[in-house]
Amino acid sequence: MASKQIRYEALVRALHSDLYRYAYWLCHDKHVAEDLVQETFLRAWRALDSLKDEKAAKSWLITILRRENARRFEKKRLEMSEYDEMSIADTSSTSTEQEMENQLLRNKISKLPEEYREPLVLQIIGGFSGDEIASLLDLNKNTVMTRLFRARNQLKDALENEPLSRGQHSG
Amino acid sequence: MDDLQFRRIIYGDPNCMDADVLQAKKDDPSKQQFAHEIDHLEQKINTALKVNVPDELANRLILQQVLASHQQQKRKSRIQLALAASVAFVVGLSVNQFKSAPAYAVPTYATIGEYALAHTHNEEHMFQNNMLANMSLASLNQKIQPFGGHFNQSIGNLISAGYCDFGNIKALHLEYQGLHKPVTVFVIPNDNPLTMQASFADAKLHGSAEKFKHADVLIVADKQEPLGKWQQTVKNNITWSI
Repeated sequence: MASKQIRYEALVRALHSDLYRYAYWLCHDKHVAEDLVQETFLRAWRALDSLKDEKAAKSWLITILRRENARRFEKKRLEMSEYDEMSIADTSSTSTEQEMENQLLRNKISKLPEEYREPLVLQIIGGFSGDEIASLLDLNKNTVMTRLFRARNQLKDALENEPLSRGQHSG
Repeated sequence: MDDLQFRRIIYGDPNCMDADVLQAKKDDPSKQQFAHEIDHLEQKINTALKVNVPDELANRLILQQVLASHQQQKRKSRIQLALAASVAFVVGLSVNQFKSAPAYAVPTYATIGEYALAHTHNEEHMFQNNMLANMSLASLNQKIQPFGGHFNQSIGNLISAGYCDFGNIKALHLEYQGLHKPVTVFVIPNDNPLTMQASFADAKLHGSAEKFKHADVLIVADKQEPLGKWQQTVKNNITWSI
């Protein structure tokens, strides 16, 4: 029992940030994201004996989280327009150009079609390869690579074309 | 590698280390430049994706698991406590159960004498020499029956009869009126892992053990009690099934 405890704690410390961020980009709500992560880790604790290889822990946890999220599908998600208003409000305060650009990018990422955003998040936050993402999302690899291409392409265009609001900024 | 193909690969995986991609970068400065721009973009995307994680989330996740497993443990402990009561009156035990049940765990004490003495000391405060039990021989025989034994006659004035544990071994624990203090008789299955000792003693008590057909019978008493007499009575009055 003691070693299961130690194993669990190690997984929490190593992976909770990535799990949380993945959850956040999945549902756009900090509270829902936290709930998802808690549920996920609780289920992981109960099923920990079935995890044979620590290297597979991250994809295992993400699979559990995706299932948990699917269960919450009926739950009302934050409307995109509300989200826009929230982030635009941020940029009107005193922030550096970098911060404004960061906020803009977050805005654009959340506006990406979900089928483009999800592979991107899995690749960057999850650290998964094209093959692994294909496996997680049950798609073929070419489809995954195309979606990644489109996601980055759109974000690049967005950054190049969108003028930053000329509010006050330091420096 | 043409431009279009190169861009598709880099857009899909900026960190691609394929040999042909690396070569393409080397051969063509404009491809190198493009890859550099995408690296730059990638850094920004990385930062954007790394939203703040709530403080203490890790600790909360660990706490919830500790609480969950504590609840589980509490339930288990309650059940274990009920089972491990040192005097358990078990009804309707079959001979097979006693004779074939192995002692699963290695007892803390290894010898039969150590157990008998320790057990007697532990419970001596519970019995008084003048507190006689009101139990028929038939009832007593029901209790010794799972050990394959039978009292033809009572071996003394009974104070108490019940089951208890010798470590993990089920024992019949009898108390009889002695000269000055109660005499303890234990009956345990003879396929037990304890080291047999014909006689044993400590500062206050002495005892004897004898193997019979299906069980060992141990007698423990204070040093003024003559054990030989009790051993003889046990031999004469308990018969063992075939």
